[in-house]
Amino acid sequence: MDFQVIGKVLPRKDGIAKVCGKEPFASDIVVPHMLYAVTLRSEHAHAEILKIDTSEAESMGAVCITPTEVPDFTYNERTVSIPEKTYCDRKVLPRRVRHVGEAIAAVAAETEELAFRAMQAIKVEYNVLPSVLDPEEAMKPEAESLYDEILLGKQQLKVKHNVACERNIVIGDPEAGFAAADYIVERDYDLPRIYHHQMETKTVVCQPEANGGITVWTTTQTIHNVRQLLGQIFELPLSKINVKKLSIGGSFGSSIQMNSMIPICVALALKARCPVKLVSSREDDIHDHVKFPARIKLKVGVTKDAKIVAADMRVLVDIGAHQINSYPLLGCMSGWYASLYKWQDFRFDGTAVYTNKVPGCAMQGYGNPEVNFAVESHMDVIANECGFDPIEFRLKNYVGIGDEFWGQGPTVKSIIKSCGVEEMLAVGAEKIGWSERQSSQAKTGRYRKGVGIARGFHTSGTGGPKPGEVIDYSSATIKINEDGTVDVLSPVMDLGGGTGEATVKVVAELLKVPYDKVELAIVDTRTTGYDVNTHATRGVYCGCGAALHVAKQVKTKLLEFASRILEENPDDLDLSYEPEEKKTIIHVKRFKQKQISIGEVAKLAQIYSWGTIAVSDSYRQRNCPPCFVAHFIEVEVDTWTGIVKVPRAILLADSGTPINPDMLEGQLIGSLSRGLGYAAYESTENDLETGKLLCGGFITDNKIPTSCEMPLMDNIEVYFAHTYEPTGPFGAKGIGEAALNSVAAAYANAIYNAIGIRFYHTPITPERILQALEGGASVEN
Amino acid sequence: MEKRLIKVTINGKLRELFVKPNDLLLNVLRNDLNLMGTKYGCGIGECGACTVLLDGQTALACLILAVTVDGQEITTIEGMGDPAQLHPLQESFIEHGAVQCGFCTPGMLLAGEALLKENPNPNEEEIREYLRGNLCRCTGYAAIVKAIKSEAKCQSADPGTLSE
Amino acid sequence: MKTNTKILASEFEYLECPTLAEALNCLSKYNGKAKILAGGTDLLIKMKSGLLQCQYLIFVKKIEALNYLISDKKTLRIGPMISLRSIEKNEQVKAYYSALFEAVRSMAATSVKNMATIGGNLCNGSPAADTAPPLLVYGATLKLSSIRGDRIVPVEEFFVGPSQTVLESDELLTEICLPDLGDQIGSSFLKLGRVSADIAKINVAVCLNRTGKSVGNCRIAFGSVAPTPIRIPEAEEILKGQEMSDELIVKAAKAAAGLIKPITDKRSTNSYRQQVSKVILEEGIRSAWQRAGGEL
Ligand SMILES: Cc1cc2nc3c(=O)[nH]c(=O)nc-3n(C[C@H](O)[C@H](O)[C@H](O)COP(=O)(O)OP(=O)(O)OC[C@H]3O[C@@H](n4cnc5c(N)ncnc54)[C@H](O)[C@@H]3O)c2cc1C
Ligand code: FES
Ligand code: FES
Repeated sequence: MDFQVIGKVLPRKDGIAKVCGKEPFASDIVVPHMLYAVTLRSEHAHAEILKIDTSEAESMGAVCITPTEVPDFTYNERTVSIPEKTYCDRKVLPRRVRHVGEAIAAVAAETEELAFRAMQAIKVEYNVLPSVLDPEEAMKPEAESLYDEILLGKQQLKVKHNVACERNIVIGDPEAGFAAADYIVERDYDLPRIYHHQMETKTVVCQPEANGGITVWTTTQTIHNVRQLLGQIFELPLSKINVKKLSIGGSFGSSIQMNSMIPICVALALKARCPVKLVSSREDDIHDHVKFPARIKLKVGVTKDAKIVAADMRVLVDIGAHQINSYPLLGCMSGWYASLYKWQDFRFDGTAVYTNKVPGCAMQGYGNPEVNFAVESHMDVIANECGFDPIEFRLKNYVGIGDEFWGQGPTVKSIIKSCGVEEMLAVGAEKIGWSERQSSQAKTGRYRKGVGIARGFHTSGTGGPKPGEVIDYSSATIKINEDGTVDVLSPVMDLGGGTGEATVKVVAELLKVPYDKVELAIVDTRTTGYDVNTHATRGVYCGCGAALHVAKQVKTKLLEFASRILEENPDDLDLSYEPEEKKTIIHVKRFKQKQISIGEVAKLAQIYSWGTIAVSDSYRQRNCPPCFVAHFIEVEVDTWTGIVKVPRAILLADSGTPINPDMLEGQLIGSLSRGLGYAAYESTENDLETGKLLCGGFITDNKIPTSCEMPLMDNIEVYFAHTYEPTGPFGAKGIGEAALNSVAAAYANAIYNAIGIRFYHTPITPERILQALEGGASVEN
Repeated sequence: MEKRLIKVTINGKLRELFVKPNDLLLNVLRNDLNLMGTKYGCGIGECGACTVLLDGQTALACLILAVTVDGQEITTIEGMGDPAQLHPLQESFIEHGAVQCGFCTPGMLLAGEALLKENPNPNEEEIREYLRGNLCRCTGYAAIVKAIKSEAKCQSADPGTLSE
Repeated sequence: MKTNTKILASEFEYLECPTLAEALNCLSKYNGKAKILAGGTDLLIKMKSGLLQCQYLIFVKKIEALNYLISDKKTLRIGPMISLRSIEKNEQVKAYYSALFEAVRSMAATSVKNMATIGGNLCNGSPAADTAPPLLVYGATLKLSSIRGDRIVPVEEFFVGPSQTVLESDELLTEICLPDLGDQIGSSFLKLGRVSADIAKINVAVCLNRTGKSVGNCRIAFGSVAPTPIRIPEAEEILKGQEMSDELIVKAAKAAAGLIKPITDKRSTNSYRQQVSKVILEEGIRSAWQRAGGEL
């Protein structure tokens, strides 16, 4: 397809501000007369708070809040699911702490130093309770319970054996399926808690306004959900709450919710009656959120001719101290599993368990990297045990065009209409030299190379033909200015991946306006319609979908006004761009001589008092197409030290029409680094006695890959499949989360190919590799 | 704690500042001088978000007491270029898609600039080594390395062979 | 949690000493209540994380007289305030003191190395300090000064335990001196970390002289395997005076691995450290031998 701006590499709209250090992030916001806040965080994993004495802190001139001084409101910070499916267990400040590092009081003062010293002067009396730190132990009857009751929507719900929520799904008759299988392969996988490690720590600035309302600047993926939840907690009319849209210094899911520090800061500002700024230290931030871990038991039945006939997956998720979004997580995990291969008859049992640890929250992939690691490792295990070629085995069973895709658990599904899986596997195999791949037995010597493949996907948004458990729609406002330039007001947060540019491009493409004449306005909740969240890889597919929907209406309006001026029928008019004159014209179809520029139309509309050419509307996508990926990774294992290098990686993506090819590549390579981190380096562990984080909150002992751990530039190849998604804006789907999902499995499969050792949990560290090598090549880990 | 007077040249301008002994350079730049391009990422020297140039060499503002830089020269990202007149390396970052969320970007740019001053034509390994204290969680580093490499090429190529 | 790395919360009086004499006077005057601040890359982190407090902070990094690296043909004298980065970029070090060069090259990242001093690395007393094993194998001595006078301490006697050295509270490290290493010498340093810019899981340095096909003098030192950086004299003895061979290297490395008793901590496990000690020591001996002009 021939596009004017879609698919072209153009400079980011926020690029200049960002390279000059002038792009404001929440942590850069300064309001006159603001106080600085710090939180007091628990040293205990589980304890009742008997008394908090703030008198000394207050005598130092600090403003303090404690659990008794904040609204007693039970909430869930993530409000993406419909209210009846939202489990609530959290308070603004708790009377019982449930993990080390949970905020229990907060202090604001004129300087951060003073606030910090005042915080240290607060005295807390605890009644320390036994803590529960292992998810399996947590479910035993004798285990201490974290909660007696929580809320499901507005309903009270008893919590038994620390089970936060469950999801059991059976499709067909798995027992009969297994009975018909020639081989049954069963394994256990274990994926750790890891820290998001977004570069900007969570921040909030809250300014009380003269009208009794508040203005909030914060790190979030959703300004509208922040506003609505603050309205509920503080019983403020939404018209008096304004949340500003800002750039965010990375997120990866860590701000999918209204972060728990936001209402704390608001409560402080309301009490102090002046603006308050609360910036998390890195150690606060590490104690605030981790990626959901998962223990996965997977059993798959196959026939001799490599056809899958049944599957059974049991998932146990240690969600930590609060439910941020574990019920939808389990649903999504069932969906990622259901949509990878045609299991025929299958079962999914998911259980989320409370423990006295940092709460788990969404992180890029939302359960998909965990499920993908299990399934894509398992596909290799089966291929190996049954003598199938791993690629052919996948191609024989994958879920592709015409099949049903579960975009967000069992209630959000649509039929797949575009799919690049076959193309990507063929191209990847060719590039990596799959046919020359040797088995690990053929490899000797200190350094051994191996090649691994894994494939995956993510949904593009959470839309579907009918509304499910998840809210999904977006909004946009588009306005043609009187000189022919265009303003776009979008509530969709750009987490850095280029969603903003994509929105501009889609509008520019439809209205035939050059990219540099379309600008993204600085907006907030007051000036935009609702958008649910930049999550679920929905920025381009849903966010740009809404922008396209509105742009089409703007076009209609433009043509209508032009038809009055040109005295023609609007249906006979069309838009086009005149590169020589650098302007967008409306002309009579097949008779370009009769034309007028859109700037002139807008200007005349003003002069004739017809009004501004602007449209504001919302739009829901009615599909959730999967964006597919495949990873071919080469590793080199030093069998003497266990150190692994990645000499080469081939990253393949089917994201429909690539709207921002450079950003798409950036997403894939960025995800490779996070995937390698997940596979080889990262794990945020707790001391099993005290519940404290082993890293103590410092990134010194929470390593992520640096520039030196990545393959060299020329050794990373990126390939885009040639697909067109009929339901997407100009054929586009998402990419964000998909890009990560199969990295870790491809890595583990490559290690197996290099040294013949299968690792079932990550991170696959040099220590574990060496230990396994010592134990003999057949050891399973 | 008594405040002291220090004289520092910041982005080419001589400044007289009163600072407490425990004031970190990072907070003086951000809070007192409103130079928000220098970021807090970890506070313990591990991430490079707070990178500045101290007498032309990279240094971490989160681990420097402001009192100790009396008489020295500091360049922050705001002194590297401005929107009306970007530094070529800043242009290269935009051109190569080296900016995603942008939070690591100021530190990366200053490190890149210091590297090119020291070694006008670094190879890829040298660039990666030099950047290993600047963490980026978004990009996977490739675009950043590419942006620096391409700028190095431009600087070191003679005008006739720019087409390379 | 009682830390906040965004700020330095603790309060202290700041004393800047542009000369050695002033520094020593201050140290003596505030004996026990003062701490020395050089590059600050260890000290300020300890203060931020609440591990250390002090009433007075004496800033010594700007003492120009202690910022030098002087090598005549035979010896090398290093001022403790020299930055790790200046050592890394010094041509003499690169050419003749490979172990020290490789150690500083492996350390941290450029920005940290611009700020950090070699004196700070030693005086911080970490068992993982990367400059310690090279200095141990070079047989370096340290000059410790106070208003009471100077004393010379071999590096081997300097470290006492984690964060503990023989420095008295009024003393300043004022010079690191590497003796004449003799002819036909070769040295090397190897380190394993979690990622490329990391404190060592384990590190090792080797320095030896070659006499024809045999090893003359030889020293081996490990870091991160004991409460202090340590030498392994037993392994050194295996090599000394012997004709070099692969078997000899393996024998010495195996012996060394059997002698160390590392622990499990956040960075690695005892068994891993034990296993790889052999591997890196073998490699270390090999490259030191080759650098001494030997063949294998
Ligand atoms: C991100 C990061 C990475 C690091 N990586 C490494 C690494 O790879 N390897 C490694 O070994 N270290 C590493 N370090 C630790 C640190 O950088 C080094 O130990 C450095 O050399 C310390 O020097 P400094 O000048 O900053 O010391 P300071 O922090 O100023 O001082 C350290 C200690 O020594 C004392 N002291 C300093 N100078 C003297 C003197 N002349 N006489 C007496 N006492 C003195 C101080 O009082 C203090 O107790 C790293 C640190 C960071 C922040
Ligand atoms: S904030 Fe200074 S290095 Fe991270
Ligand atoms: S661009 Fe986000 S951390 Fe580098």
